[in-house]
Amino acid sequence: MTLWRDIKGTLQPFWITLGYLFQKPVTIQYPEVKRTPPPRYRARIVLTRDPDGGERCVACHLCSGACPVDCISMQAAEDADGRRYAAWFRINFSRCIFCGLCAEACPTLAIQMTPDYEICNRDILNLVYEKEDLLIDGCGKDTQYNFYEHAGIGVANERGRNQDEYGPVDPKSLLP
Amino acid sequence: MPTLVIDNREVTVPEGMNVLDAAKAIDIVVPHFCYHEALGAIGSCRLCAMQFLEGPVQGVKMACMVPAQDGMVVSTSAAEAVELREHVIEWLMTNHPHDCPVCDEGGECLLQDMTIAGGHYLRRYRGKKATYTNQYLGPFIEQEMNRCITCYRCSRTYRDYCGGRDFGVFGSRNRVFFGRYKDGQLESPFSGNLVDICPTGVFTDKPFRFKSRIWDLQEAPSICPQCSLGCSTIPGGRFRELQRIRSGINQTTNGFFICDRGRFGYGHVNHPERPRDPRVDGLPVTMEEAITAARNRVDALAAKYGGASIAFLGSPRASLEGNLLLQAWAGRVGSSQSVFDAHQGRDHAARSLAANLASLARSLSDVRQSDLIILIGADPLAEGPSLALAIRQAVRQGSEVIVIDPRPVALPCAHQHIPLPPQLLHMVLKALESGQYDELNDAQTQPAVKTLRSKIAQAKLPVLIGGADMLGGLGVKLLCDAAKRFISAECNIGVMVMLSGPNSFGGAFLNIGGPDFDALIDAFQEGRVRGLVCLESDPFREAQFPAKAQAALGHLELLISIDCTPTLAAKRADIFMPSRATAEMAGSFINNEGRLQAFHQAIEPGMPLSALGPGKHPPRLFQSTTPGATPQPAWQILGQLLDRPADLNQLRRTLAAENPKLKALTHVDTTAARICAEPNGIAAALTHEMFSADSSAGNVPLLITSAFVGSHWLSHLSSPLKALREEPTVWLHPSLAATLGLKHGERAILSTTLGRCHVRVQTSNDMAQELALTYQLLDSALEGMSPGTIINCRLTGEEGQ
Ligand code: SF4
Ligand code: SF4
Ligand code: SF4
Ligand code: SF4
Ligand code: FES
Repeated sequence: MTLWRDIKGTLQPFWITLGYLFQKPVTIQYPEVKRTPPPRYRARIVLTRDPDGGERCVACHLCSGACPVDCISMQAAEDADGRRYAAWFRINFSRCIFCGLCAEACPTLAIQMTPDYEICNRDILNLVYEKEDLLIDGCGKDTQYNFYEHAGIGVANERGRNQDEYGPVDPKSLLP
Repeated sequence: MPTLVIDNREVTVPEGMNVLDAAKAIDIVVPHFCYHEALGAIGSCRLCAMQFLEGPVQGVKMACMVPAQDGMVVSTSAAEAVELREHVIEWLMTNHPHDCPVCDEGGECLLQDMTIAGGHYLRRYRGKKATYTNQYLGPFIEQEMNRCITCYRCSRTYRDYCGGRDFGVFGSRNRVFFGRYKDGQLESPFSGNLVDICPTGVFTDKPFRFKSRIWDLQEAPSICPQCSLGCSTIPGGRFRELQRIRSGINQTTNGFFICDRGRFGYGHVNHPERPRDPRVDGLPVTMEEAITAARNRVDALAAKYGGASIAFLGSPRASLEGNLLLQAWAGRVGSSQSVFDAHQGRDHAARSLAANLASLARSLSDVRQSDLIILIGADPLAEGPSLALAIRQAVRQGSEVIVIDPRPVALPCAHQHIPLPPQLLHMVLKALESGQYDELNDAQTQPAVKTLRSKIAQAKLPVLIGGADMLGGLGVKLLCDAAKRFISAECNIGVMVMLSGPNSFGGAFLNIGGPDFDALIDAFQEGRVRGLVCLESDPFREAQFPAKAQAALGHLELLISIDCTPTLAAKRADIFMPSRATAEMAGSFINNEGRLQAFHQAIEPGMPLSALGPGKHPPRLFQSTTPGATPQPAWQILGQLLDRPADLNQLRRTLAAENPKLKALTHVDTTAARICAEPNGIAAALTHEMFSADSSAGNVPLLITSAFVGSHWLSHLSSPLKALREEPTVWLHPSLAATLGLKHGERAILSTTLGRCHVRVQTSNDMAQELALTYQLLDSALEGMSPGTIINCRLTGEEGQ
């Protein structure tokens, strides 16, 4: 019985290989030929802008907190109009494992994964991206959301003028 | 001691504890906001619902409002209670803004935690939200009123606990607003506690605004280095910058709160001029080279002129381990010249306290429970701010407070002030002790002291409080003697004295009967002492008579400095070795009640990343060393110099073995035991040299004291605190002002032997009549004025010039 099993085990793989010889190959001749990954592919990370062109990232540290390999670092700062933004923002792609947890954590849809997987480099320092390198000129996958239209700190509109807000109350009023 | 059952577990708790705390005692935490151990329960947030199944009360109740009683059976997970909590948290969230990503509270927000714990995950309310206009509240506190959940913790802290009057609650129904009547800087010196106490992001730390999230901060339990009370703090830093300090919790000392000097006084750690590199004769060297040079030069000097030609000046802000090793170094070269405070009066006060305190020692927690508090020559807001807070808590429970002090002492509570001139303070103390009032010939003082004596005798837990600046060594001894006189079975009297620094007591303990700095000054001048080693001390500025000290220090052949701040000694030293600030190292301090407390290392030293400038990302180059990271704990530098163990615990064990009285060092933690010295004949030598003024023709005695901010070296280096710094001011009693032809608010010229400067005149009815009063202000024309002295001055109006 062992002999019969051994013969089968030797021949069957050859048979399968033979079968594939007559099928259309799936191998692509990279880099001469390039394949377009699906839109949800997780590769090079970008920082997007809101529909008005403002930087979406508010430097909330949620992405860096979520990142399992600690490759994101940043410093928050405040603009004259009260907007919280990233004074600097750095992703070390030599450490990034493209897990997408940062994009999942981001409350403003600022940080997004793109299908651009071609970022290999001989100099490791070229893989350390600063904010200038990460920021793109578009909204990415969501073309609508503007965090400051919903936050209560009066950046996109004056305080109390967002669509989902009443104007400021007058605490000194005695009216019922 | 009632016994009750919570979630099927039996628990016995002290009488009067509420059910919420009882559950906490067995690690069952129910969401809650408005209850706080220090503030009590008011039942306003309606969140802490529990189901009371059996016992004296039944049904769903607010657990914080129900005192634990025998026979209660309580469920925290009963469906009705859980559902109520779920609804309440949902209501609280209806108006809450969509702010978490831009809110500094995020990550340490009680509201975030309790919302999730309360079972509210998904927003159902889609309507509009109420908004508020924020106020400007000064340099420390940022307000974002939209985030309020009306728990009233802030107003209860600010008004009830801290005694502030310029903040409160306004409005009605859903327009309730917590703030000031008008925009403006919060006046309370305890305003920073709003940051800790507000469970949401309404009040956040302004200097810390947008700097870091809590999960990126390096934090550790530490001790505040800004005064002698030793409050427990938690410093936090990131990117080699100390970014904030929040209050630690220690029931025996500060409780839950700290003062603004302690909270915002961390700037010395990140100071741009902080010396970070070792130097020998002005040239940069490595730490090892500096240590070797220091050892060799001291040895060479000792070989040439004898060990006694080297003096060692420790400091009230250096750790106990550092000071101990400094003394060990002195011992090794055969010098007995070690002093631990360059300020003569403060040094004597500390030593006198260490020698006389013994069982009279009282902690801040004892002060909070006291029923009679008498302050003699003490101004808590200047010398130990959290003491003022402790005194207020005693007053809230019915204690009486009497202040005998020449200064217009401000306390955040009702008190009686007897403004006596400084020279009478010792006589009052003597009279208190002896019951002989003859020396007090003043018609008002005599009866006042008489009443005081009878009040003390009737009180159960009276505390006598003094300050080092005003009392000096002799005064502290008199204070302790007076207290001892009243000890009886009914009267458990105690003493607390505010000293100059976090480890004043420790230094004094090491040098109870040794020489003092005045003796050293003479020795410098006569050439008997030719070398001085300064451990985190600056005799050029800190001496009681800086001008005299500076002249004498000029004779030195060798000046060695170990420091973490840009002191004059550090700048002028022949050999300089950079040490670490409190937040950057582990060590221990002995606070003003003799309590040995350890602190842990929160951050690593180094040039802060923020020093690169705003918006600059960190450099793009690989480096194996951290810039500016050379500083080492002073005990480590000295330990290396003396071939001692490099490991702190091992070092502590050897130090404890050498000093049996410091046994506690082997198991020191943040709440360790008290240490006291034995009085060994020092008191006789302790003079009090503050009255060098003569009030002859046109001269006015000028009493110099310290301010809340500006007189203390470490807090002086802190940029957030700059806003609290007063302009140079002279305080006068209106009668003296009238004699001098000066009016309140006017500008005048103050001339003393130390020079002339422009000051603002303030008058107060609440101060001694025959003298002028000013604060030492470092880096101003008033820098040379050292607290605890009286000098002659002349005051003329600016117009008269
Ligand atoms: S999570 Fe999003 S908004 Fe927050 S710091 Fe990261 S990119 Fe910026
Ligand atoms: S207070 Fe808390 S829940 Fe509210 S926005 Fe700030 S972090 Fe979020
Ligand atoms: S401001 Fe903060 S502490 Fe005050 S009531 Fe509102 S949530 Fe409570
Ligand atoms: S009272 Fe003293 S020890 Fe306490 S926080 Fe204030 S300065 Fe620091
Ligand atoms: S904690 Fe009990 S009602 Fe707020």
